[in-house]
Amino acid sequence: MPGIEPAAVRPVPLQSLRATVRDALLVLAACAAVGAATNAIRQGGIGFVQRSEYEILVPCPEGSGDTQAIHADDPTVWETRTLLVDARPVAEHQRWHPTGAIAVPFDYLEPTSLEQVRRIASSGAARVVVFGDGNNPDSGEQLAREIAGKGIRNVRFVEGGAPLLEKAAAMRGAR
Amino acid sequence: MRPLLDWRGHAIFALAARLYLAAIFLFACWHKILEPAAFALDIATYQILPLGLVNPLAIVLPWVELAAGLMLLSGFRTRAAALLVAGMMAMFTVAIAIAVAKGLDMSCGCFASQGSAEDPISWHTILRDLSWLLLAVYVFIFDRRPLGLDRLFGRRKSAAAQEIS
Repeated sequence: MPGIEPAAVRPVPLQSLRATVRDALLVLAACAAVGAATNAIRQGGIGFVQRSEYEILVPCPEGSGDTQAIHADDPTVWETRTLLVDARPVAEHQRWHPTGAIAVPFDYLEPTSLEQVRRIASSGAARVVVFGDGNNPDSGEQLAREIAGKGIRNVRFVEGGAPLLEKAAAMRGAR
Repeated sequence: MRPLLDWRGHAIFALAARLYLAAIFLFACWHKILEPAAFALDIATYQILPLGLVNPLAIVLPWVELAAGLMLLSGFRTRAAALLVAGMMAMFTVAIAIAVAKGLDMSCGCFASQGSAEDPISWHTILRDLSWLLLAVYVFIFDRRPLGLDRLFGRRKSAAAQEIS
């Protein structure tokens, strides 16, 4: 190939390294000046200092665990060896919840804390049945997938969520 | 070890690597220069830098990418350009690694703004950036001015020196 210097790679002299670093710093300084000047005169430029926090919406990774839907009137929901987990906000949990259900409010942005997952894991229950608001998407299904993805086995979610579970509880009470 | 370093083929590979990196950086700087606000949001999404540094970086970095790309393409101060590219790639790799470790599900913002979810970060992104970092180091070490302005200026300099002597 024409133009290749015959000399092979030799140790770069310190002077040459210094010159390279100096050149790089000069380019950085020039770019900072050009960038600042361009930003100042252009339409749609941004403030050099951001005053308020950026509104960032980073979706959290979806739980990838396997889970299945279960009907609210399924007898296994009401067995004593079933741990009922309420994915709704605390206020709704306090308004009504089946006996023995624990509140683990599901947040679409914040992952469920390890402490809460440990609490479920240490319950000794044969299965975990999660119920949420029953909307689309259902917070119960989302929480069930998340905790199943974190290693909890035999996790189900109540199809239709708390509204259907409340009806099923009323029916059982009537019987 | 010495024969490996002395191999003449390095010059050809370093030239190819130089032009490849130039194309990447010229392509990458485009949307960032056109949309500084979107790029600032991309930087903020990493949640690494304090708020006060987000905008200055969004304003300056695209121009550094442009300058480094043009310098690599034209062969002007190639080593300085390779040094800048290596520094930027090291910075990007660390940022992406932190974001991946945090489990953030986001676009890297390397070639398009956050609106496009076609380039989500992953360990593949980190490997890709590491490979570009290695290429920049390779250019820094093995570039022997086969083509470009450095060679042209070097010839003129040596011709002038010969005339004086």
